[in-house]
Amino acid sequence: MNLKYRLLIIFGLVAVSLWALFPRTVVERVKRDGQFVYDTVKRVPLKKGLDLQGGMHLSLEIDESKGAVLDKSEAIDRALKVVRTRIDEFGVAEPLVQKAGNDRIIVELPGIDDPRRAQDVVQKSAYLEFQITDETQALERALPRLDAILKTRKLPTGPATGKPDSTVASAGLQSLFTTDTAKKADSTKTDSAVAAVGGPGAFSSLLQQGQMPGEYYVAQTNVPVLTQYLALPEVAAVLPPGKVVRWSSDTVSLGNTVYRPLYVLDAKPIITGEFLTDATPNTSPQEGNLVQFTMNNEGARRFRAETARHIQDYMAIVLDQRVMGQPPVIQSAIGQRGQITMGGKPLQAAQDLALVLRAGSLPVPLKVVYTTQIGASLGQDSVQKGMTAGIIAIGLVVLIMIGYYRFAGFLAIVGLVLYLLYTLAALAGFNAVLTLPGLAGFILSIGLAVDANVLIFERIREELALGKTIRTSVDEGFRHAMSAIVDSEVTTALTAAVLYQYGTGPVRGFAVTLLAGTAASLFTAIFVVRTFFLVWLNRAPDTRTLSI
Amino acid sequence: MLRILHGTNYDFIRWWKWAIGLTLAFLVIGLGSLLIKPANYSIEFTGGTLLQVEFIAPADAGRIRSTLERAGVHGAEIQQFGSNREYTVRAQDAATVRAQGRGAETVANRIESVLRQEFGADQLRIVRTEAVGPRVGSELRRGAIIAILISFVITLIYLSIRFEWRFAAAAIVATSHDIIGTVAFIALMRLEISLTIVAGLLTVLGYSLNDTIIIFDRARENLRKGRKESLYETLNRSINETLPRSILTHATALASTVALLIFAGEVLRPFAWVMSFGIVTGAFSSIYVAAPVLLWIERKWPRKTGARQSSSTATPTSRTRRSPATATP
Repeated sequence: MNLKYRLLIIFGLVAVSLWALFPRTVVERVKRDGQFVYDTVKRVPLKKGLDLQGGMHLSLEIDESKGAVLDKSEAIDRALKVVRTRIDEFGVAEPLVQKAGNDRIIVELPGIDDPRRAQDVVQKSAYLEFQITDETQALERALPRLDAILKTRKLPTGPATGKPDSTVASAGLQSLFTTDTAKKADSTKTDSAVAAVGGPGAFSSLLQQGQMPGEYYVAQTNVPVLTQYLALPEVAAVLPPGKVVRWSSDTVSLGNTVYRPLYVLDAKPIITGEFLTDATPNTSPQEGNLVQFTMNNEGARRFRAETARHIQDYMAIVLDQRVMGQPPVIQSAIGQRGQITMGGKPLQAAQDLALVLRAGSLPVPLKVVYTTQIGASLGQDSVQKGMTAGIIAIGLVVLIMIGYYRFAGFLAIVGLVLYLLYTLAALAGFNAVLTLPGLAGFILSIGLAVDANVLIFERIREELALGKTIRTSVDEGFRHAMSAIVDSEVTTALTAAVLYQYGTGPVRGFAVTLLAGTAASLFTAIFVVRTFFLVWLNRAPDTRTLSI
Repeated sequence: MLRILHGTNYDFIRWWKWAIGLTLAFLVIGLGSLLIKPANYSIEFTGGTLLQVEFIAPADAGRIRSTLERAGVHGAEIQQFGSNREYTVRAQDAATVRAQGRGAETVANRIESVLRQEFGADQLRIVRTEAVGPRVGSELRRGAIIAILISFVITLIYLSIRFEWRFAAAAIVATSHDIIGTVAFIALMRLEISLTIVAGLLTVLGYSLNDTIIIFDRARENLRKGRKESLYETLNRSINETLPRSILTHATALASTVALLIFAGEVLRPFAWVMSFGIVTGAFSSIYVAAPVLLWIERKWPRKTGARQSSSTATPTSRTRRSPATATP
């Protein structure tokens, strides 16, 4: 292959790797003063596993001690819906909730402080309510007083952004209630936020009228601030009596801004989940996708009476104090059987809503079958020790290689630097999670990466000893070492693949780094280091000695 | 040019009887110790609860134990972790595991609350908790065994594709020796068998196989050259020719694992031990297990003279048979 193309490939990959590893700006939840807030964070896109950053892992199964569950997979889907809905309560940066197999749910909560509380919240059974959205503009009427409260009170923490130059600050703050939005957005940039200094409309400026009575849009970035405000006892006292304020589980995108709807609802539900017997998604040719549900006899009686009083009102479906989807309008009195048309939304939305209704009507008791919790300080400690070990291992390898092979050793070390870069980039590219055994696998694969170089250099030495020219020796050395290198890398990769397939958690992290490591070491040893040799030979074609 | 052990011509295989005797003794002692005291399985495999507790003031292990006993957590193992302010509590007896069938966290919560009662609520901090229900334990156990078996079978298939069966079989025997030897080492060191250790064991498998492959690859090449020498001599030559590589590679690999051993901390230490031993035994078995086994196979099922390509003269084949024969009683 042409030398130019070789170099092009190597540096192309270096560029791609650097790009993959370049610290990028992401919006994530970070902890500040004991509160989780959304903020922009600049970080290298390599995720640390629970054992390195601290956190909690929970494996949950259906608790069948109080009666067997027939369709476990369906029951797990319902439970999954509930757990997902609640996950925001934990206030963790990147929670993971997933179904494992047919009968298990895995929950990972990085950086969690209070494992007991987390467990309780996950295991609490679901509660479903149907509540009518507020039609009396109760919140609007309370706004002047709410703003006044915030003005007089020194706020616990500033809104969304602590740093003045943060980009998120200007995103929200448009409001129907205040006119000079542009000015406000500006002042936000220079001062931490309008609300923070208790300026006019601290509360109302965060709200924007939604599409139906009792619905308000709040920019996603302002959600934590408003949540804090709503938790203040003074604010709670002024909120309209007989009403409750609930967040939506969904977000809405308008233009460039993501909003989370906030609903003001009648506190008394017109019906609760216990009266519901079933819910199924369906598609009708006339009305499109819909959800059909049935009530038991008592539920039907109550529901008919309530819906008759609320025709043309909006009915929010609230699971665990979160409004699920957009509240549908009640068109006529509904008895035992009802249906909710999805208004042009995909079948997926209907399936989802049916799942919500079933989850609320038939709660699934869960039990913990496996849990680990690692303190953040322990994780920090592990990272530090892993780094120390890694640096020392690399140092020893550099010493051995350059000490023994001199110039060729130096080329190998440059190759090793690229190897490190490629491996890390591959890990970032595959979204792999860096765990403690992963770090070990990484350090180990450095040792193995060196093996390929050693094999090649020993071969070159042998060829040189046979009296061949430098150019031929280098070519022959690489050619002869090839089969041994490929064999050994393939066997390592095979073991790593098996570990990945059958391993769990940390072992998987080990397998991933080992896999990425073998691929990168194969490439650097037989391609990158060879190219270095070729470049060197090209620059000094009539060289007589090779320092190897 | 700096050279170590270059152009050597040691008769490595000559010592095979001693080597086999030594390794057999090690295996017998190691595995025998399992009969006296069974292996130490981590709670990942047995089910149970592990708590790492950090106390503000130095605490006494006896007091922790009696507190737990009073709370009905019996037979828990209490170990100092670093200083005398930090302890790990490990409860994995049958009663604990059974209790965790109802919910894995129950025992951990009980231990935490009694410790807080005894030592004061703000006098301790739970640094790490791990609680495994009985079903998960048996699942992980099964998973680990499957992983070891499958990677074994896969590497066997790969080897028999790349090498002829005699070589493949000898490599498998050598690798099995390393796996068993590492298990014996784990038993002697009283290391706790955990998921990470299983991962280490599988890495040893890959590493040891890799080492055998390098020597066999050279032997295969030397055979093709068709020198007039016996397989015994070819193998010895191959071992000698790959000696600088072996030394250097094992040195760098050992440097990495020893760095892990010393600096990576308590959690990775068992893994680092397994890896370090694996490197040593892998190097040993490639010479002293793989080669004698290959020679034995060769004697038992000699290859047809045509298979030795140009060297199909009478002398080398007869020497092939004779050399190991003289070394066997």
